[in-house]
Amino acid sequence: MSKVMSRLRIRSFYCAAVMVAFALAGLFTQGLNLGLDFTGGYLTEFSTNKTVNQQEMLAKVTPFLEEGFELTSAENGKYWTVRAADNGTNANAWLNDFVKSINIQGTVQNDNVQVDSLMITPQDAIYIGSQVGEELINQGGLALLAAIFSILLYLSLRFEWRLAMGSVAALFHDVILVLGIFAWLGLSFDLTILASILAIIGYSLNDSIIVGDRMREIMKSNTESEIDTIINLAIKSTIVRTLITSGTTLATIGAIWFFAGESLHGFAVALFSGILVGTYSSIAISATVPQLLGLTADYYQQQEEEVCQLP
Amino acid sequence: MKSSKKQHNRYAKWQNLLLVITLLFMLVSALPNMYPEKAIIDVTTKKTAAHQLSAQLIPEFSPGYVKQILNEHNIEVDEITTSKNTTKVVLTDKSEQQSAEQLLIETLHQNYLIDSSIGNNSPVWLTKLGGQPIKLGLDLSGGVLFVLDVDTERAMSDKISDIVLDIKTMAREQRLRAIKVNQVNSVSLNIGFSSSNGSENSALFTKILATYPELTKSKVSNQHISFSYSEQEQVKFRQETMKQTLKTMRGRIEELGITEAVTQKQGKNRIRIELPGVQDPKEAKRIIGATASLDFYQLAKNARDVNVKRIRNDNGKLLTLNNKVVFSGSNIKNARAGRDEMGSPLVNLSLDSIGGDKMSEFSKSNIGSPMITIFSEFYRDANNEVVKKSKVISEAVIQAHLGSQFSITNMESSAAAQDLSLLLRAGSLSAPVTIVQQRTIAATLGADNIDNGIKALTIGVTITLLFMAIWYRRLGVIANVALALNLISLLGLMSLLPGAVLTLPGIAGLVLTVGMAVDTNVLIFERIKEELKKGRGKMSAIDSGYKNAFATILDANITTMITGIILYSIGYGPVKGFALILCLGILTSMFTGVFVSRALTNVAFSHNKGQLLGVQQ
Repeated sequence: MSKVMSRLRIRSFYCAAVMVAFALAGLFTQGLNLGLDFTGGYLTEFSTNKTVNQQEMLAKVTPFLEEGFELTSAENGKYWTVRAADNGTNANAWLNDFVKSINIQGTVQNDNVQVDSLMITPQDAIYIGSQVGEELINQGGLALLAAIFSILLYLSLRFEWRLAMGSVAALFHDVILVLGIFAWLGLSFDLTILASILAIIGYSLNDSIIVGDRMREIMKSNTESEIDTIINLAIKSTIVRTLITSGTTLATIGAIWFFAGESLHGFAVALFSGILVGTYSSIAISATVPQLLGLTADYYQQQEEEVCQLP
Repeated sequence: MKSSKKQHNRYAKWQNLLLVITLLFMLVSALPNMYPEKAIIDVTTKKTAAHQLSAQLIPEFSPGYVKQILNEHNIEVDEITTSKNTTKVVLTDKSEQQSAEQLLIETLHQNYLIDSSIGNNSPVWLTKLGGQPIKLGLDLSGGVLFVLDVDTERAMSDKISDIVLDIKTMAREQRLRAIKVNQVNSVSLNIGFSSSNGSENSALFTKILATYPELTKSKVSNQHISFSYSEQEQVKFRQETMKQTLKTMRGRIEELGITEAVTQKQGKNRIRIELPGVQDPKEAKRIIGATASLDFYQLAKNARDVNVKRIRNDNGKLLTLNNKVVFSGSNIKNARAGRDEMGSPLVNLSLDSIGGDKMSEFSKSNIGSPMITIFSEFYRDANNEVVKKSKVISEAVIQAHLGSQFSITNMESSAAAQDLSLLLRAGSLSAPVTIVQQRTIAATLGADNIDNGIKALTIGVTITLLFMAIWYRRLGVIANVALALNLISLLGLMSLLPGAVLTLPGIAGLVLTVGMAVDTNVLIFERIKEELKKGRGKMSAIDSGYKNAFATILDANITTMITGIILYSIGYGPVKGFALILCLGILTSMFTGVFVSRALTNVAFSHNKGQLLGVQQ
């Protein structure tokens, strides 16, 4: 039984490695489909002669624009702003068509029945820059590095460097896989998705540490001599907890995915896949890497004499 | 033996009391969120009208009349209250504020003052305690839009006049008398010279080009030469100025702790800022702040010198300054108000490396002479022209050779020191900036989307709670109570932070953080189950379950906390907001998941009888 489990674990480790390679291939060939937050784009503004509700206007505008635009209203639904990607063509083109179609409808209706029909006046079309400055992107990269080093340091002090490496490897796996999914599926990557990557990091670490913590405990109690058995035992005794936590979290995210609609769709996809791969990697990677790096069962027995462990 | 174990198992009275007090505090902080923000319109009788024209007051004016006017235009009124001269109208829908105000002004403006505001409808005692609801993001409740115009042309022109001054100084240092330098337009300057001293002239020109490599030299005539910014360099200069201004604006918004603002470059020389949750544009304007700049000058040694600038201080005394700035506000890295050993107020400044070098060089040779700080603000006058208004804000004597760290002493009061330090921090704009457009913007997400989001989150949480109650029975109910308390504590903590802003993804993150807090309890309960299987008694299993799981929980949470803190300190926008929720969520989930649920368990289980978690004793 234990042999089967170990083999399965090693196999899933290689499987994880293959998936990371696949995700990286996606990132390099497809690239991330960066959202307006990062790329900037065109801002077009128009005003209406009467108050229009956000939903109605959205329905009217949608046929004229490519996916991924943002519509905002001001002045009680009489002044409208559309942010859309810079697709190389004239930014005004869609607005002209849109204005024509609405205003023609208006005049036709005018002749027949309705008097106060909707009229649109175009206002402005102008280029807008990204929400995120260059310096922030550089800083962000530095920050991630700093975060990873701090985690490595803390875990090395508290556990053991090989266990720390396992957690960080799992972390990389999770983040890369989610980014890979976004690259392959061409889903829009905006600041909200970046934020959900942050939640995935937190979740992934949590999962890895709980397995690592149990490994340490079993090693300390000195009842097993095989590192293989220790890892399997640790996974077995934490599996119920892992499944319950992942399950309930996935249920919440699933509800967001199905019921919350378009606005939280990308967010739900990122978190759902992040938690799935996070659960997988806590078993396949963070528990297996220390073994591959040569962690032995009697590590803590050797340590005991020299260092006074924290409780 | 048995009694000593019981001691282990229980919290002391003071510990329980502490828990209850903390929870109550959080509850009170979270409470204002129960009362949504409402649009309030005050209709006040004009004083003059009341005295002189009382006969002409609209006879039928009454709360009912106001309601009738509004209802005729499909604006729903939530509540109307009257005091002596004021009728307070609370609207059901916040978005109708503007049209309602407009309508009332049209009908009642002759005899009544109409004033609208956004207020919290919470009870008086809560307002007195200073409770504030969490601000909602642009997607949920809209905010204010500002479009700023950055006058890069003016900045360019200022730069050229600085260069002119610098060249004059260079010429004087090289003892070249017959040199005339003047600015031609905003991108070029002219140098007139006598052709007799050719080698000195060319040395000067080489030096100019070395100091300002961005300039292009061209010959106008035998005695005139011009230096100008080429097209490319002009574009580069504008882009740099815009980048700098954008960075400063982001910095200012950040300093105020608003995490979910949108700051973008719009077109060539405009900046678009969308601030969430600020319904009062006046306040927002103050936030975008003084479109100000700061410069530090030296008093002119000779009042009849050509390169002087004259300005009056607050007392009307005319100061003659050396026209060349020592350093400007853009060199200031930080400024903090403080006090010296004697307790008199001062402002501590730290400069960047360029400013530090300039200051060091300047102060070495000017100990004992005063340094003047001038604060300038740009605004548009009636003709829509940008006008610069300058004011002396400090005259300080240089007391020692200074480096990049020094302080401005002799401040009038600590309030003045606070103000100055704030201006110094915010004053690093190199180009004049004016607000050209200002609008109130509606929520980006429609009401339907928001409702769906909230519905989805409720479903998610309900599934989690149901599962816990079924799986862990009595302990599960305890976990659920702890979760609810966790949500309240998190809301309370966020309400206490002035800059925290909730967006729809933020709320989802909040619910997720709370969902992940389930983990704390699951870890503990699984531990207890294990201990029970080992054959321990119920009470001792609970005791060691909590104790053993705590180390694991601590490790897992500290690591996540490290990530959260680092990402908070440099993240931007939603990332920052999310990191904040994550960190606070860890704190509250540790608190409720470990300590509160422990106290609850103590109350719920007091003896070893019966079975727990389905494990037979």
